[in-house]
Amino acid sequence: MIHWRIGTAALLSAALAAGSAAFLAATPLLAQETVKLELWSRQDPSGPLRPGNVVKAAERLNKELEAEGSPKRVEVAVRESPAKGFDDDALQLLKVFGIGEGPDIFIAAHEWICAFQEDGFVLKLDDYIAKYPQHFGTIFPSLWSSAKCPDGIYAIPQDAEARMFFYNKKLLREAGYDAAFVDAMPERALSGDLTMDEVLEIAKKVVDNTKAQYGVLHRPNKGPDYIMVFNAYGNDFVDPATGKLLLERDKLAAAFGWFERGVKEKVIPANNTAMEFDALRKEFYTGNAAFWMYGIWDLGSVAFPTYGLPQDEKAFFADWGWITGPAPQKGGAPVSLTHPIVYAIAADTKEPELAVRLLGHASAVDLNTDHAVTTTHLGIKPEQLEDPRYAKAWPLARATELLKITKFLPNNSQFGELNGIIFAGIQGIESGRLSAEQAADFVIEEASATLEDVTVK
Amino acid sequence: MTTIRDELTIERRGRAGSAVRRRTNFVLFLGPAIVLTVLFFLVPVIIDITVSFTDLSRSLRISEFTMEQYEKVFRTDRRLSQVIGLTFVYVFGTLAIFNVTFGLILAITTTAIRNISGSFFRGVWLLPRMSPSVLYILLWLWAVSPTEAGLVNQVLMQAFGLDAPLDLLTSAPIALIIISNGFIGASMGMIIFTAAIRGIPEHLFHAAAVDGAGTFARVRFITLPALRWPISFVTIYQTLSLLVSFEYILLLTKGGPFYDTTVYALYVYRRAFESGQYGYGAALALFLIVIGVVVALIGWRFFDMERLLQRPRIEVH
Repeated sequence: MIHWRIGTAALLSAALAAGSAAFLAATPLLAQETVKLELWSRQDPSGPLRPGNVVKAAERLNKELEAEGSPKRVEVAVRESPAKGFDDDALQLLKVFGIGEGPDIFIAAHEWICAFQEDGFVLKLDDYIAKYPQHFGTIFPSLWSSAKCPDGIYAIPQDAEARMFFYNKKLLREAGYDAAFVDAMPERALSGDLTMDEVLEIAKKVVDNTKAQYGVLHRPNKGPDYIMVFNAYGNDFVDPATGKLLLERDKLAAAFGWFERGVKEKVIPANNTAMEFDALRKEFYTGNAAFWMYGIWDLGSVAFPTYGLPQDEKAFFADWGWITGPAPQKGGAPVSLTHPIVYAIAADTKEPELAVRLLGHASAVDLNTDHAVTTTHLGIKPEQLEDPRYAKAWPLARATELLKITKFLPNNSQFGELNGIIFAGIQGIESGRLSAEQAADFVIEEASATLEDVTVK
Repeated sequence: MTTIRDELTIERRGRAGSAVRRRTNFVLFLGPAIVLTVLFFLVPVIIDITVSFTDLSRSLRISEFTMEQYEKVFRTDRRLSQVIGLTFVYVFGTLAIFNVTFGLILAITTTAIRNISGSFFRGVWLLPRMSPSVLYILLWLWAVSPTEAGLVNQVLMQAFGLDAPLDLLTSAPIALIIISNGFIGASMGMIIFTAAIRGIPEHLFHAAAVDGAGTFARVRFITLPALRWPISFVTIYQTLSLLVSFEYILLLTKGGPFYDTTVYALYVYRRAFESGQYGYGAALALFLIVIGVVVALIGWRFFDMERLLQRPRIEVH
């Protein structure tokens, strides 16, 4: 009887102990808190890993949180916007923030970041960047300037690229230029020996002496590439002393003059801005145009997969190549333009610390390199250059040379709108509605009438 | 036996009953229309007026009530006069060439031929109206593509030996927006005019034939006079419709090249939604409302629409 009692008591105690152990083990799970972070990203086939890397980063952050014994876990919900470009996307997102429905994190073109900062929608990051050197310490210092507003840093560079003039060597040779001339063009452009007008001359010779229909093609909508031409002629668009928008009539007219001469010489088509993006690319990559003003990522995203341009470096440079934006006059400075895309965090996010750490992991060398090599965008950290995949993606290594002379679009909250006016000026010139002088006046009048604090010289 | 007092009570009840019935009928029949009118016409106008006095911009925040937007409209916006001029050309051109004239030609020709053939042609002309706008404009973009692949260029180059392809989107953008809108607009006039022509008593045509009237004389002396009221209606209705429409223009030319096809309604859209100047867009939109009301009133007086609404005018007795 006693044995039975002891046995029963032992059994009950064991069961109790096991139950308690199971309960204690389960307690951390029950207390685990999932923090949902919403990420706003434009549906962009040229950069699917911009949001994709943030989703992957959540796994890494969660492991880190687990190791720290934190009960918090992060879950990323991606909210995709169907906007056609980063400008439209930014305008949509500003409205979304305006009605209090903004995301926790968003992806934007760098020049828009101060528009968000001005309205108090975006988190200031200086302290966080200093706090997490393991994530942000080695990002190229030059890239941070693309994320700065007057009082500090408001975004994290996600990628960079380089804008250039691609050219078709075969057509140039057919037009009568010898191989030595054609191959020397990149060096000459970089040293300031090849000028903007010489590009028009070469393009004209191609149009006159070959079957190619076009000399120089550029994007058909508002964007960064053609700003290179304006930069070449000395337009920086921002007064360094005040940070306000600056329009200099003579410099604007000089840049518009280049487009005007291009159209007069029948080198730039009068309907360039009415053509479809894909049609323009097709004309260049199928050998119907001498030059194409665009970005390095077009090779990986379009030229190789869609038009079958040789992916082998040697084979590519046999018939194709690129030059920086040339100098306006001999001995002048060449230009290139990079257009970083950035990650930013909403000012009112409930977990800013976690959001920063999440983006820190998304900026990891391997993840950023995944994005860089699959989309031909330049990386953000020097360590990426050591990755064999990065080295193998030769367009990246070659285009990195252009970063020596590269410029950014101004980080002014009104630049997006000003760029729309500049684009309308180009349209006016190419379609024969305006002369270069009139286009400069048009930009000044339109900007002065619709934008605030524009300095005109 | 009822007394006088009882009769008076019954009469009062009857009157009261009919007054209640009248009120009930009013609420039942006009109530929904009034609610819809207030919700979808008056409220948006009130919102538009309110917004036009604010500095509402990209982030949908109002920091002050201001007259600034109206100052911009009257003082600084140099683009407006060009846009208004273009809108006049677009509305008048589309209306005169297609919505009225071509609609009339379609109605007269398709009612003059055999019924089956007439119905077939009318059906064909209705197709663009039934197609989604994007699809319709995609066909146009292919047709006027400035390359050798474009339909117009294929025809001109192969059949007429044209050397280089034409770029109609750059060289004739206004003509293109008038034609592309007109092809759709003509179908509404066609339907209304066809119904009106069908309403003309047959014996009038027979009598005219007996009197020796030819086809053109019958059209001139019987058909056209009978169509006066439908023509008035189509003119006013389509004018108002064209004033505020820009969907096909946006899809076909995006308002360009430059501002060449930016009509007033599209200009409002571009200012408000492409530049994020919502306050300014609202001020511009208010003028569009005013222009619409003025055009409607002028049309009302000019065409004497009051008489049209009093009695059916299609039938000729």
